[in-house]
Amino acid sequence: MEADTVLEVRSLSVQFGAFAALRDVSFRVRRGEALAIIGPNGAGKTVLFRSLLGLQPHTGEVRWQSGVKVGYVPQKLLVPRDAPITVREFFLLKSPRFWRPPATFTAHFGHELALVGLSESVLPRPLAALSGGEMQRILIAWAMLKHPDVLLLDEPTAGVDIGFEESLYGMIHEVQVQRGTALILISHDLTVVYRYAQNVLCLNKRTTCQGPPALVLNAETLAQTYGEAGYYQHEHGT
Amino acid sequence: MDNLLQPLLIGACVGAASGAVGAFILLRRMALVGDALSHVALPGIALALAFKADPFWGVLAPLVLAAVLIWWLEGRTSVPADALVGVLFTSCLAIGVLTIPNTEIIESLFGAFPRLPAGFLAGILLAAAGLMAVSFRFAGKFLLVIVDPDLARTEGIGRGYDLALLLIFSLVVALGVKLVGTLLMGALTIIPAAIGRNLCRSMHVYMLVSALAGGATAVAGVLIADAFSVPPGPSIILLGTAVFLATLVFARRRHHVSRTAGS
Repeated sequence: MEADTVLEVRSLSVQFGAFAALRDVSFRVRRGEALAIIGPNGAGKTVLFRSLLGLQPHTGEVRWQSGVKVGYVPQKLLVPRDAPITVREFFLLKSPRFWRPPATFTAHFGHELALVGLSESVLPRPLAALSGGEMQRILIAWAMLKHPDVLLLDEPTAGVDIGFEESLYGMIHEVQVQRGTALILISHDLTVVYRYAQNVLCLNKRTTCQGPPALVLNAETLAQTYGEAGYYQHEHGT
Repeated sequence: MDNLLQPLLIGACVGAASGAVGAFILLRRMALVGDALSHVALPGIALALAFKADPFWGVLAPLVLAAVLIWWLEGRTSVPADALVGVLFTSCLAIGVLTIPNTEIIESLFGAFPRLPAGFLAGILLAAAGLMAVSFRFAGKFLLVIVDPDLARTEGIGRGYDLALLLIFSLVVALGVKLVGTLLMGALTIIPAAIGRNLCRSMHVYMLVSALAGGATAVAGVLIADAFSVPPGPSIILLGTAVFLATLVFARRRHHVSRTAGS
C-alpha cells in the first residue's frame, strides 16, 4: 500500500444468495482526495459503503491505512421523529461519557457546527424539530467530531432542496480543503461530480468506468452505467 | 404499615428501574413486545410452585431466554420475528393459566403484596438499583444503537449492547413480577417511559422523568391498592395510565408548538 493511500479495495464482491450485488470492484483513495460513486438505484452503492465500513460480509479485500479514522454520514437516522434527543445529546453519543462529558469533548461542538454553517444555538433543539437541511448538516458535523481522515457520505443531499444542495456540497468541499479529509461520496448529481470530485467510480453491480470525471464520463460510459434509457430517467423519474 | 413497607420499597426501586430501562424499550419501538414479554414468566411460576421454590427463580430463566430469543430473531431478516414472538408469548400465558393452581393464579397474573425474607428483599432492592445504574451509565451506547445501528458499529458499538439492554429489561421484569404480576409487569416498563416521552424533549431529562414516574406510580399504586383492598398490579398500571393520559395534553400542545415553530 502506498504511503498516501488511505483506502485500497481489491476484487470486492458481495453476494445475496443467487444475486450478485457487487462483482469484482477495485479502487483506491488517496489522502485528501474526493471520490464520487455514481450509479442507478440497485447498483450496489450502499452495499459498497456497508462493505467499506465492515457492516456487510463480502469477498475480496478492503484495506484501510492503519490508524485511519473514518467518519460516516448516513442518508438519514432511524430514530423516531418524536424521540426526545437534542442535538447536544446526539453529539454526546460520541463522548466517552454521556452524562458528564469531558469539557475537552464539548469544546469542539461550536467549531464543528461552524464548519457546516450552524451556530451553537442549535445544540438545545430536539432532533425532531430540525429541518431536512439542518439534519444533514448535523449528521456531517457529527461525523467530523473526531476529525476523521476519511468521510463517507451516502447521498448527503437526498431529500434536501436544490438550492441547499449546492451550499451543502460547498461546505463538504471546504472540509476537504481545510482539513485534508478524503471524501467518498455517493451522488446522483453529475454537476457535483464534475465540480468537486477528483475521481469517479461508475457502478452498476460492477465497475463501468473509473478515473477523473472529465476523462471517463461520456455518453457511452453513462449508458453502460445507467442503461440505454440513460441518466435522464434515473435522475428525474424516481 | 409494616405490611406495606416491603411493597413500597420494591415499588420504588423496581418501578424506577422499570422506568429507566423502559425509556430505551419505547425508543426501540418495542412497546408491544416489551409489554408481552412478562407473559413468558407464567409457566416458570408453575414450575417453581411444583418444586416448592420461590417463584422468582422460576421466572428468571424464561425471561432471560425470551430476551435472547428476541435479540437473535432481530438479527435475522428471514424469520417473521413479530409473529413468532407474539405467538410464543401468548402461548406461555395459556400454558401458565392451565398449570398454575387456582389458588395462586390471580396473584401470579396481577401481583400481590410480597412478604419476603429480609435477605431476599435486600437482594431485589440492590439488583433493581444496580440495573438502573447500568441503564444510566451506558445510556449513550444503548441510545446510539437505537438511533442508528450502522452508525453505532462504525463507532465500535456492536449488537452486544443491544443484547445487554434486553437482558437488563428482562431482569427488571423478573424483579417486579411478584408485586405487579406477569400479565401487567411489562406495562410497568412501558407506561412510565410513555409519560416521560410526553413531557420531555431531551434524553437526559426523559430518562430521569421516566425513572421518577416509574417509582412514583408504583408507590402510589401500592397505597391505593392497600386502601381499596385490591391487587397492586392493576392499581399501579391504572394509575400510570391516568398519568399518561393527563400528560398527553402536554405532548399534544408541545407537538403543536414545535410544528408551528418549524414551519
